[in-house]
Amino acid sequence: MKSIELLGKGEEMHGRAYIKLSADEIEESIKKLKENGFNHFVMLSCVDWLDKGKFELVYHMWNYEEKEHAMLSVDIDRNNAVMKSMSHLFPQIETYEREIHEMYGIKFEGNNRLTPFLLENWPHDPPMRKDFDSKKFVKQMYESIPFIEGDENEGI
Amino acid sequence: MDMIGIAIKITILAAYAIIGTCTGLLFMGVGRKIVARVHNRVGPPFYQNFIDVAKLLSKKTNISHGWIFDLALLFSISGILLTLLFLPIGGVQLLSMDGDAFLVLYLLAIPSLGFALGAGASGNPNAGVGVMRALVMMLSYELPFVITLIALMIYYDTTSLATIVRMQSINGIKSWAITMPPFMIAAFAADMALQGMLMEQPFDIPVAPHEIASGPMVEFGGKYLGSLMLYKAIALVAETTLFVDLFLGGGVVAHGNFAFIINFIVWLALIFLLFVLSILIAASFPRFRIEQAFGFYWKYEAIIAAISLIWVYIMVIK
Amino acid sequence: MGLHNGDKMMRYEEWSKLARKASKRSLWMVHFCTGCGAIEMPPVMTSRYDMERFGIASMATPRQADVLLITGYLTVKTLRRVIQVYEQMQSPKYVIAFGSCTINGGMYWDSYNTIKHLEKYIPVDLYIAGCMPRPEGIINAFLELMKLIDEGKARGWERYQKYYDKYKENQRRVFNFEVKEEKEEKEQKREKNEEH
Repeated sequence: MKSIELLGKGEEMHGRAYIKLSADEIEESIKKLKENGFNHFVMLSCVDWLDKGKFELVYHMWNYEEKEHAMLSVDIDRNNAVMKSMSHLFPQIETYEREIHEMYGIKFEGNNRLTPFLLENWPHDPPMRKDFDSKKFVKQMYESIPFIEGDENEGI
Repeated sequence: MDMIGIAIKITILAAYAIIGTCTGLLFMGVGRKIVARVHNRVGPPFYQNFIDVAKLLSKKTNISHGWIFDLALLFSISGILLTLLFLPIGGVQLLSMDGDAFLVLYLLAIPSLGFALGAGASGNPNAGVGVMRALVMMLSYELPFVITLIALMIYYDTTSLATIVRMQSINGIKSWAITMPPFMIAAFAADMALQGMLMEQPFDIPVAPHEIASGPMVEFGGKYLGSLMLYKAIALVAETTLFVDLFLGGGVVAHGNFAFIINFIVWLALIFLLFVLSILIAASFPRFRIEQAFGFYWKYEAIIAAISLIWVYIMVIK
Repeated sequence: MGLHNGDKMMRYEEWSKLARKASKRSLWMVHFCTGCGAIEMPPVMTSRYDMERFGIASMATPRQADVLLITGYLTVKTLRRVIQVYEQMQSPKYVIAFGSCTINGGMYWDSYNTIKHLEKYIPVDLYIAGCMPRPEGIINAFLELMKLIDEGKARGWERYQKYYDKYKENQRRVFNFEVKEEKEEKEQKREKNEEH
């Protein structure tokens, strides 16, 4: 596959190219792929490996001529989740990083628009982390609010 | 001034208001039924608008935005009632003066000014946009309408509506203005202008529900909206009556003692036909943009109206 | 309002019976459709399951409308806006809630951001079960609401006025306002301590 040839490492997985990189190499790799036909940046997604203690950030890119989907994967430490921002390469990466900052709590240096996006007034932990207990949160937050008593057919 | 004369005039005034309102509401309900049948569905009952007005006037909270907002409705309803008083209905005209054909056009502009006040008082930007578009539309449809009005005035050599109606009612249908070729063209131009006056599609730009959240009516609710619906009903009757008076002889076909009843029925039938025509056009067209409407009225309509004006002038000179 | 004098009560009852008869045949809904149920509204409005024959029309703004349709799940963000819309409507006003997400959370029962029971925050007059109910179900619900209005049982707006404090308390709890203010105060106190 073209991306594997360009970057020199990686393997094919379910018809897509899966390339593991380190946090320093990611910027050069994206630039190199961008110049060689991978000019559509699809998505930036994040996987939370709780038992391995890391976040895996995956940069998805698409090539229209070869119809090839490349996934560039970067591991960062879970307790000190900081990453350099790639929003100078593609402008849409800024919004994806905003969402991931809100949902996972990863700080992106160089992105000065990490403001609240989907959640309003959210003072608790980032909700998409695997150690965020959703059921306990729902019980504590929503189930504890009381129903309004009073007869249904009552008026003023 | 004798008291009986004043009492009779006040009774006729009240009768005008009631007839205008009831006729208008009935027509609006029937119009909704016709649109529904065009869409191949059943539609509301024909008395639906009476129920709507009753519901709106019985709301328990009515939110107002100050006394200027309350004045807006007063302007609209009083302006349109005054217009109705100057129009001959079945040959009977309550108030008249010299040059009342022009006066009616001026009086038709008062409700828009009332809406401008209401929109300004409510402070909603949608209302401001709607009112601006309403005033631009009024500017645009008045040009062809005034040109056709001038054509009529040149031919009949008068500026009084009562005289125009009387001169068309001499021979029955044969002397209606619309049977003469130049006035056929003029009636076509005036009918397009009527579509804008009634604010029906394709010219319902100021009250577009999806584009500007119904424009000037955006902050009206409860009793205010109910009064607005009454204004719309009377405006419907007034504007179609104006057209019928100018081109269709005002519905006057009989002369004599009890002729008023026959004339009234003919007038009602003519207004209804005109209204159905405008509803059928409205059901088949989408909405114009404001610059398209303006261009339409000032380019094509104005040319058509000007052709009829020149034709009439040549006829008169000969 | 003088509801307890004999004569006045009779007259108020009769007038409001007439007003309710007019109101039930001319319900105007707000064109504000949240969530998944918005897709079931166009078939109800157009030719096949025509709702205009009952006098129901859709209006552009809440000031002109009587019925608010909550057609699906509500996130906390949308709930704030729905409450603003509900409070802008003029009474008497009714709320119909579609789907199981408004009854007990439905498919999103363990989600961190959707509310589970709608009637803790605004008074609901009628629920429609289903995920999403079909247009026949929606028209059935409108007819049921008309019956309730006629009998005088659809009094959600009066309940909102009577228990206003409790509704507001519930709303504030779910919007995290107090939590945010407390957190800001704690941070300010911490900064002051660090300065000293």
